Amino acid sequence: MQAADFDELGFFRAVASSGARALLIGRRALVVIGIPVLTADYDFWIHIDDIEAFNLAAAPFDLRPTHSPADARARGRYILENGERVDVLIARAVPTVDGTRVAFDDVWARRRSRPLTSEVAVILPSIADLILTKRFAARPKDVEDIRLLSLLADGDDA
Amino acid sequence: MTEIERRIRDESERRLSAAEVEAYLAVPVTDVEREDVGGLVAWFTRRYPTAGERLAYVRRAHRRWRG
Repeated sequence: MQAADFDELGFFRAVASSGARALLIGRRALVVIGIPVLTADYDFWIHIDDIEAFNLAAAPFDLRPTHSPADARARGRYILENGERVDVLIARAVPTVDGTRVAFDDVWARRRSRPLTSEVAVILPSIADLILTKRFAARPKDVEDIRLLSLLADGDDA
Repeated sequence: MTEIERRIRDESERRLSAAEVEAYLAVPVTDVEREDVGGLVAWFTRRYPTAGERLAYVRRAHRRWRG
């Protein structure tokens, strides 16, 4: 499948109706919120028990997992790919660069539903939690994103 | 990939230390920066009112950028 053929809304619809606890993180989450940043990949943080449901939702879009669910659970992450690339984080908790432990269940409890269209929605962390996820990899662009998100968080749901 | 491209990629993908992160974030946000970001977000959400439209725009922009 060519990237131009990818049915993005259909993919998000399939994820939403799959029952998988899946949080959109990374730069596409910033785009949903309203920050115009460029990115190539999709980044999700999903519940460790929901790999199969998530993969099932992605399969009609020719997105194939790089690892079996068992291997993915052992590694803490895997990739769905074909013409697109979806990075999937599945750890129960992830430390930030300064050692703060961020648990999926806590972030999921504070999640926000954001409409993509009148019929399709995507689940994001709260802005405060999205900032925490940017501290996982802590690359220069992540720190820039933290600064942008902090400005929005002043008047939002953080 | 040229040596310069490799060095740029390595630097942009490098994990910063906690001290580096805090030093960067400790720089106060100026009024100009706040206005610039606010203006950018206002433009983006006005031009592409739904999140679905914003995602589609970024996909198109990325394809153009990749050539």
